[in-house]
Amino acid sequence: MRLSVTARIALLSIALAIVTNLVLVGVVWRQGDNAAMQAVRRETIEKSDAMRALYRSGGLAAVTTAIDGARAPGDVSLLLAVLDGAGNRLAGFAPPRPAVTLVPTSFRVADIDSSTATRDVGYALHPIGRYWLLTGRSLDLVEAEQRAIERALGLAVVLSLALGIGAGLVLARFVGGRLDRIAAVIEAVGEGDLSRRVPVDAGGGDAFDRLAARLNLMLGKLERLMAELRVVTDSLAHDLRSPLARLRTKTEQAVLMADPAARDVALSNLLIETDLVMAMLTTAIEISRSEAVSRDRFTAVAPAELIEEIAELYEPVAEDAGLAFVTAIETRPPAMKVHRELLSQAIANLIDNAMKHGAAGGAVTLRLLDAVDGLAIQVEDRGPGIAEADRAVAMKRFGRLDSARTTPGAGLGMALIEAVARLHGGRYELADNAPGLIARIVLPR
Amino acid sequence: MSRKILIVEDDSSTAAYLAKGLAEAGYAVEACKDGRDGLFLASEGIFDLIIADRMLPGLDGLAMVSAIRGAKITTPILVLSALAAVDDRVDGLKAGADDYLCKPFSFAELSARIEALVRRSDRTATEPQKTKLAVGDLEIDLLSRIVTRAGRSIPLGAREFNLLEFMARHAGQVVTRTMMLEKIWNYHFDPGSNVVDVHIGRLRRKLEDGFESPILHTVRGAGYRLAQEAA
Repeated sequence: MRLSVTARIALLSIALAIVTNLVLVGVVWRQGDNAAMQAVRRETIEKSDAMRALYRSGGLAAVTTAIDGARAPGDVSLLLAVLDGAGNRLAGFAPPRPAVTLVPTSFRVADIDSSTATRDVGYALHPIGRYWLLTGRSLDLVEAEQRAIERALGLAVVLSLALGIGAGLVLARFVGGRLDRIAAVIEAVGEGDLSRRVPVDAGGGDAFDRLAARLNLMLGKLERLMAELRVVTDSLAHDLRSPLARLRTKTEQAVLMADPAARDVALSNLLIETDLVMAMLTTAIEISRSEAVSRDRFTAVAPAELIEEIAELYEPVAEDAGLAFVTAIETRPPAMKVHRELLSQAIANLIDNAMKHGAAGGAVTLRLLDAVDGLAIQVEDRGPGIAEADRAVAMKRFGRLDSARTTPGAGLGMALIEAVARLHGGRYELADNAPGLIARIVLPR
Repeated sequence: MSRKILIVEDDSSTAAYLAKGLAEAGYAVEACKDGRDGLFLASEGIFDLIIADRMLPGLDGLAMVSAIRGAKITTPILVLSALAAVDDRVDGLKAGADDYLCKPFSFAELSARIEALVRRSDRTATEPQKTKLAVGDLEIDLLSRIVTRAGRSIPLGAREFNLLEFMARHAGQVVTRTMMLEKIWNYHFDPGSNVVDVHIGRLRRKLEDGFESPILHTVRGAGYRLAQEAA
């Protein structure tokens, strides 16, 4: 398929070269032909006029004298003669009895000498007294010139054919080469090597470079999504293993319990474990969905109000857990289009994380503020924080810190926050609260 | 006369589970397996509630709901679906469903929601505009937003008032945590950390501290119930 496209490009460019050259040659040929004929016509008419003027001033004698001297040596194509009333040549250069009809003719092309194999002549015929003046020129020379031009043009056609084929092949090679580089990458990606990229020339900005750049962008996103998918699947399986293992153990224990009351308690614990697994699955679905949520699910929400609602929900929870909960609204931007539900859930996760991992600090702050490049929603705690070196690991999707391993599903929570931030065109980042951690969603304004 | 519930569900084990549980709860149950039959039965207008699955053969569940609403049938509809994302729920409610519950569900959750839906349609039929709600010795003035119990005024925050009003409107019924999250806070995700329990705990302290009898009861494995007497 790819080859045939290259071949088609080559053929097309060859065909185009040939057509343009043929048109050019045709025009040159026609123009040349016309110009030669025009020259003969002009010369014939001029000569005829001159001779008739001479006749009027000097009579037949002057004309015949002029005719004798008019022919340059070696000029065999000139036709210049005086004919009598019967059409026979009296004097000058012409066949003895030219095959012309004796009527005044200003210019005509005809074969006037049927006896020989000579070509057409262009001639003029005008009466002078009792005689007729025949002027003209054999077209032999014109045709010879024409043939020379034709030969040259023919050569040009052949040459243009060769050049066209050459150009076509070069073009096809060039296009094919560029496309092959892209196709090779696509092929490799198709076979599973998502890390391949099309080499792009640094300064090149042609269509192929743009195509390659776009393709690389797409592959980058594809690779990232694939990697995330793999991590999600892995960690989901990993995260699900422990609650399911607990579920299994507890079920086993419940089955073996003799006391009905104790069995009831054990069974309701099973329900709690099951709900935990369900909640994790729901979050996982929400994450994967949020990669492809369409913008029409967004509604206009005033960010400050959204924050206040969440704060209202969590403040008593934090206080019951012995944490001071502070809500700091530092800016009140106008309503913006967000996915209220998902953004709320992401913020809830931020707070939940802070309460789980930063509880030691005794305080959690939910803050809305203007950042350099957008609107920041951040949750600050005074807990142990995350060391600078570990932050990248913490941010990496599902790459949970070992200290967090005991809390099931925490990785999913992080992943959801990140997915929601990205859905809104923003980002999720961690910073140092010295001491403690700042977890921040930055939304573009 | 017992209330009639139509179950439109193609999965026979779920349908049997629903039918059995609802029959035990005192409902008369009819079941069918596809959307076309569901629409046909619903158009008789004899049901108090329709429970519809989303993915149905014949006519898709949401299309069926839209068609039922298009036919001006106002029977409350509860959509049951394995499609659990936030936006799926929005689609369900947009189609005209009154409630949306994700599979798998706890029966306690389902039955609380069914009761709420059935009672709501009763209420709108009989007592459209109420300005005062009373549960035992608890009185709630919806206009002045003043709550009194046994004549003593109880100051409540705005959200606490909404929470109490919601529970009072469903007095005697079980109200689940997710129902409260959905109706009071308009959140459809699980915020974790027993968020609702904390709010209920605060409300309960205000309603019960200094009074003899409890009025806000915890229903284990299901939710809460506002009633004068323990069930």
